Amino acid sequence: MISELQRQHSRGEYNYVAGDGYPGDHHSLRLRRLSSQMSIHDFPHYNPSLSDAGDSEAGDHGQPRDLRSLPLPMAIKKAKLKSRGIQVPVLSKVELWKQEKLKKLRKFQTKAREFLYFLVLWGKTIQKIGGNFGGGVKSYFLFLRFLVVLNFVSFLLIAGFVIIPSLVFRQVGTSFMNSTGNERCTIYEPNPPGLVVFYNFFLDLLSGTGFMEYSFMFYGYYKNTMVENNSFSYKIPLAYLFTAVFYFAFCLICIIARMGTAARVAVATGGSTVVNYSMTVFNGWNFGCLGETATKLKQKNLLYRLQVDLEEESLKKRAASLTLLKKFGLHSLRLLMALLVLGLNIAAFYGISYATTYSQEQQNKRVNKESDRIQDLFFEYLPSIVISVANFLVPLLCDQIAKVEHYSPSITVIVALLRAVVLRFVGLGVLLFTLWDQITCTGNMDDAKCKECSYNYASYACWETRVGQEMYKLTLFDLLINIAVLVLVEFPRRMVVDNWSSKVSQLVGRQEFVVSSNVLGLVYSQTVVWTGALFCPLLPLINTVKFVILFYCKKITLFSNCRPPQKTFRSTTSAFFFLVVLLLGWMLASVVMIYSIAVIHPSRGCGPFRFSDNMWLIIPTSFYNLSAATQEFLFFIGSQAFTIPLFSLSGLVMCYVIALFSIYGKSVGLLRLQLKRESRDKQFLVKQIEELSR
Amino acid sequence: MGTTASQLDKGMLSEYQELTFLTKQEILLAYKRFSELLPKEETNGISYRIPMNAILELPELKTNPFNERICKVFSTSDSHDGSLNFDDFLDLLSAFSDSATLEIKSHYAFRIFDFDDDGTLGRQDLEKLVNCLTGGTGDTSLTPDEMKQLIDNILEESDIDKDGTVNLSEFQHVISRSPDFVSSFKIVL
Repeated sequence: MISELQRQHSRGEYNYVAGDGYPGDHHSLRLRRLSSQMSIHDFPHYNPSLSDAGDSEAGDHGQPRDLRSLPLPMAIKKAKLKSRGIQVPVLSKVELWKQEKLKKLRKFQTKAREFLYFLVLWGKTIQKIGGNFGGGVKSYFLFLRFLVVLNFVSFLLIAGFVIIPSLVFRQVGTSFMNSTGNERCTIYEPNPPGLVVFYNFFLDLLSGTGFMEYSFMFYGYYKNTMVENNSFSYKIPLAYLFTAVFYFAFCLICIIARMGTAARVAVATGGSTVVNYSMTVFNGWNFGCLGETATKLKQKNLLYRLQVDLEEESLKKRAASLTLLKKFGLHSLRLLMALLVLGLNIAAFYGISYATTYSQEQQNKRVNKESDRIQDLFFEYLPSIVISVANFLVPLLCDQIAKVEHYSPSITVIVALLRAVVLRFVGLGVLLFTLWDQITCTGNMDDAKCKECSYNYASYACWETRVGQEMYKLTLFDLLINIAVLVLVEFPRRMVVDNWSSKVSQLVGRQEFVVSSNVLGLVYSQTVVWTGALFCPLLPLINTVKFVILFYCKKITLFSNCRPPQKTFRSTTSAFFFLVVLLLGWMLASVVMIYSIAVIHPSRGCGPFRFSDNMWLIIPTSFYNLSAATQEFLFFIGSQAFTIPLFSLSGLVMCYVIALFSIYGKSVGLLRLQLKRESRDKQFLVKQIEELSR
Repeated sequence: MGTTASQLDKGMLSEYQELTFLTKQEILLAYKRFSELLPKEETNGISYRIPMNAILELPELKTNPFNERICKVFSTSDSHDGSLNFDDFLDLLSAFSDSATLEIKSHYAFRIFDFDDDGTLGRQDLEKLVNCLTGGTGDTSLTPDEMKQLIDNILEESDIDKDGTVNLSEFQHVISRSPDFVSSFKIVL
């Protein structure tokens, strides 16, 4: 061993076949029972005594895997395989059988994995995207795929429990509760009389009115039917409510599960803002890069990135040495800019609120005239238009402001992202608030308009359908804007840049795929769908189709118009960040849902809840129809005797996990120290050898 | 064309499947591509050694800045001239395949980046590595000051035992913190 060390140290070349430079190898080698000398004929440097300690209890579990994961030339691996083959008769019959079964299982696993890989949606496309444009862009498409699957599964859920039973039982079922109270509030006529021309058909499609209003699309169509046989009873209102609640819970579970995997990865790789040169250099090259142009582009990217990082570092050093006066000036400037951004946001919100109010007024005023349909359409889409314009302009202005603020580049990205998130969500919130304001007369039940029916009956005969329509319009408009931008902005930009070489076009350059704003767009659409799902059960299906179209559009624009990104987006921590933002959107939507279910009076003229004061009241009334045993069981679950032990148990589990987490962190630190000491020991020993041999 | 597949019998195929991370289809495809590089008169494909400049004609390796290092690392020829026989070629594809483990990939990545084959990444190795990554020729490379700053930073971050070089364990420590490595260290025929 010592002579070998000496030999290696004096010679220039290092021999990788010996187990020395590869500590991880010991573990796998130790598991194998190799003591035959036949294998080392061709490679005298290889020392099998370094390896196994003859661990027979370790067994043959990992054996078929181990040979592959040895970083040795094929010839040695073949020799090892042969020598292992000789040892087989030594094993007992039981162990032989076990080995056979394990091998078969492994073969089956590899076959299953290959098959699954083939089935995965868009697998090959996303690989190609990742190869050409890097991890950041790939994470966007992975996120999009996750949303498509989520929406589709939710649609299946809703279809199975609400739409299909509604369809089937519509004629058969009986009415659940009978009408009580004010007759005037129950009048609801969604279908205007008159011929439906194709032109009107198209406009109705765009605005969710006319033939679409009284259909499976919207809440208003569903009746409170109930079917009861000897063994089977199905109440549509109950199913509707439970499906909506379960849909939200299901989405939450999916998001959190996905966050778990992303968080694990993010924690293991450390913080995202710390620039890691070693990571860039060691990890920088994508070996799958094919072709002359792609290679040159990648090299240019890496060069640019390294230069930018180095420059940022020297800037930071300079910034740290600013005088106190300059620091004060910088901070007050930043405060001023923050106030300016706040002012811009408030202006945008006021614009959205005003547009929504105006649009609702116009929609309520509308008498069924055939003329001016285009103008009506414009008024209907006014909130969507204002929101889209605000979402485009305000971040643009914020970018210009950010140039004045002189934050470091990584902080600038985070600040811009946060501002955009706040703008989108609060904008949506303002729209919803304005709608609520109109529907419930600002919550004031004594107002003249709301007194009679506990909601604004005059303007909103069926307010849930109207809310559903607004969400539907938002979704549709978002898709149309994306396609319009694609066709009208991105393709011409590429043609201009490619064919007309002037200074301006060089400066502007080809499009870059900005991951963060695209992801925020996705989160915004998903939030809109969540908010609207209670009122428009088909919205998840529409959203699935929309996201599929969006996938292909973005893919086309990516490959035709975009250049590879200059600054790589940290894909591992950013995946976690996207999910956090999605969770925020979910919370906003759940607030809306809870409020609609628990507080606002449902429409009396339409929908499955027309005869209750609250959507939630269905549950207590049905509760007492359950059998006594079930009632008792459910009461028990809600009582303190059950919940307090449950909470203390979960608290215990959480403490355990936190303790585990801190222990792992400490052992990582200890292992680092061990690494340091090991190499110091080695250097010390080598020096000793040199001294002794002198 | 029919004779090329028959050179790989079932026994050899299953042996290769066990010793590499490649599936049966991938091994057969590798054999097909390997045979295309053979000179016309050569019939025994498995044991023939293809010289480096022929291997570098493969489109997957042609424009890779590390192509010569890859050939030299996987070559088992006595003259260390980078020529590969079929076994070496399969080793190469196995290390670069989808299902190879992080340990295997990081081990071979380290050997590829070790330009002077001394078992550690010294300043010279790192400088050559950065030049390969950025296509360092003249005006498209870093200035000497920037290069020094960069290599100082790299060594400060990854050289744990402060001996001025990055050894295999330190390299693997850096790589293990990046989950993108497995997907970027990939060549698929």
